[in-house]
Amino acid sequence: MTNSFITNAVWAPSGKKVHLRLGKAGNSVRLDPAAATAVPDTEDVKGITSTDVELPDGAHCTDASGKLLLPALFDLHTHIEIPGRSKRECIMRAGEAAIHGGVWGMLVLPSPAFCFDNGAALDSFREAVEERSVAEMVPCGCITLGMLGEQQAPYNTLATTRDITILCDGDRAPQNLLLLYRAMQYAVDLDLTFAARADVPALTAHTYVHPGSTAYKLGLHPCPPCAEEIGTETLLRMAEATGAKLHLQLVSTAESVRIIRRAKERGVKVTAEVALHHLLYTHEDIGDYNTVFKTTPPLRDKEDGEALLEGVKDGTIDCIVSAHTPCTPFAKKQDFISAPEGMVALDTLLPTLYTKLVKPGRLSWAELIQACCVKPALIARPWDHEEGASSEVPLLLFDPSAECVVDESTLACGTLNTPLLGETLCGRVTLPL
Amino acid sequence: MKPRKDLLTIESLSDEEIHTILESAVAMKEIFTKSVKKVPALKGKSVLTLFYEPSTRTRSSFEVAAHRLSADVTTFTLSTSSVVKGESVHDTIDTLMSMKMDYIVVRHKNSGIPAVIARHCNASVINAGDGAHAHPSQAFLDAFTIREKYGEVDGKRVVIIGDILHSRVARSTSVILRRLGAQVAYMGPGSLVPPMAHTGIPQLKDWDEIFTWKPDVIYLLRVQNERIESPFFPVADYHQAYGVTEERLRRIDAQDISIMHPGPVNRGVELCDAAMDYRNCLVCNQVENGIAARMSILYHLTPATLS
Repeated sequence: MTNSFITNAVWAPSGKKVHLRLGKAGNSVRLDPAAATAVPDTEDVKGITSTDVELPDGAHCTDASGKLLLPALFDLHTHIEIPGRSKRECIMRAGEAAIHGGVWGMLVLPSPAFCFDNGAALDSFREAVEERSVAEMVPCGCITLGMLGEQQAPYNTLATTRDITILCDGDRAPQNLLLLYRAMQYAVDLDLTFAARADVPALTAHTYVHPGSTAYKLGLHPCPPCAEEIGTETLLRMAEATGAKLHLQLVSTAESVRIIRRAKERGVKVTAEVALHHLLYTHEDIGDYNTVFKTTPPLRDKEDGEALLEGVKDGTIDCIVSAHTPCTPFAKKQDFISAPEGMVALDTLLPTLYTKLVKPGRLSWAELIQACCVKPALIARPWDHEEGASSEVPLLLFDPSAECVVDESTLACGTLNTPLLGETLCGRVTLPL
Repeated sequence: MKPRKDLLTIESLSDEEIHTILESAVAMKEIFTKSVKKVPALKGKSVLTLFYEPSTRTRSSFEVAAHRLSADVTTFTLSTSSVVKGESVHDTIDTLMSMKMDYIVVRHKNSGIPAVIARHCNASVINAGDGAHAHPSQAFLDAFTIREKYGEVDGKRVVIIGDILHSRVARSTSVILRRLGAQVAYMGPGSLVPPMAHTGIPQLKDWDEIFTWKPDVIYLLRVQNERIESPFFPVADYHQAYGVTEERLRRIDAQDISIMHPGPVNRGVELCDAAMDYRNCLVCNQVENGIAARMSILYHLTPATLS
């Protein structure tokens, strides 16, 4: 252990002033697996001492007054493919973007470029991550071969020999419910989690926005919220019937939150996530066909956003995710119907969470740490939390008084499809993880 | 008045521009009565009609309008099958702009495409219908027709009947009529009429309510079976529920109400045969006024190619 200290930082969950000993294991915290609600208090954290403790003689101190100390974030929903770029560059840029945004690790969803349906694809991905990425990247295996929804992927092998813990077919669930049901039955023994976005494709085909004034004004076919809600019920019933672990991706409607709350009450093994953009924006932000705001599921009403945030606060929704999706400027310059869905959010994740949710008092630091650090890491890396495991989560220093303008030079992710472009965000991640 | 490059929606126009375009449409229509139906207003200018969706009426109407202003007209035909999936509109426009067009009249099934094209090129872009979004030239010819019939639009009551949710005509025509002081109501099948909270336009329940509301004009939308992959409603009993039947025509006649329709009419669906011959049926006036309105629109726009 080194003799270097960071002094007078504020431990975000408790608001207490602490000293942090830098070092091999000093600048990280152990996540408590037993109760995801219990963010480690300063006394339990190795390397962190309260300010009443005297620092050893000759300690090398860096003053961090006014800065917050908190565990780095884990992001459960990222797409790192940049159309037209090489896989290696995608990995490198996503890693840099993550560090900018205070994210130490992320779950990478399978995509056409990163189709994790076989061991070789996983091996070469992990090799590239090792070589290129400054952030941890956990690949999410495919449920079906090529994500085509036809034939089950060899996830038994992927789980036992490649440490895959979560399965998902991109942003959609296999349409063939029998296939998914059987996969869930089979996977119970492997302790795999099925991640899926709830949907009824027949109801949402060729739809682009939430039904409302924007849909009417722009003449875009509306996407009925009941499609997601029916899909949510379907997936929950299947998970309940098979005993499989389910993670619901990109929950976007108020009714979905209520459905998940009821399921949790009756003991279904389900976790859920919400994309940050569903907490911050509504369909009205689309304005005059602004394709930056095109997402799947679409941006909803203000009431939905409020219900989702309420769900995060009461634990119905376990995680807030970036749903990071790079799209090239040309692709987003097309008309609303042709343009691809998604925003990039990794680069700006923690400053956005702070500026838009914590600072205005809509979310506490403790709630943020639950939803963005503790629970996502527990879902993606359950092995970290087994008895005797030694893995720890890195800490970061966050300077809430710093300001940063979001522009091309501050975005490392490689594309510019964020509505924050040109905006000034408060806060900066100041300690390299 | 600031020179305007494109006509994409009615919303984007000022009141002054709406009045100017309607006013000069009157002058344009006078040309039709002369033996030489042509003026040299756009002599030497080139107009391109770019229709990604099949349409004979609107396209010919624009072409006749351009010819009567002495412009050169090029027709670019893109059958839906020839537009390769994934091909970008930008690339098509780049090709077309090499031909140095001054005006592009575009129709596309995707809402918002004309705006994308307008941003991308110097030519004046006229939206001739994009998805369920807007159809401003139709709105002008409708407003012009009502003004011609009643002397003014202000204070008139117009009910638009049909599938509002998927109709660009309802969207644009309701906007221009309300801007000109008319009252507009919607009537149609179930959830195909978006709630007033989204549209700002009151909703009438059925024909009885329409007659009680005492409209001056009944505007029937076309049932567009060809556009729709899976039908939104059964067409078989549409006429009975929402169409102008002979019985309703008698009440329309008694109240001296006018009938309008953007065409082409599905006889026996929106209108019974007798309604087409009804004394206050303005469908043919609409077609004629369409040319005058489109001449006026072309005349009003200033392509950026000129500067």
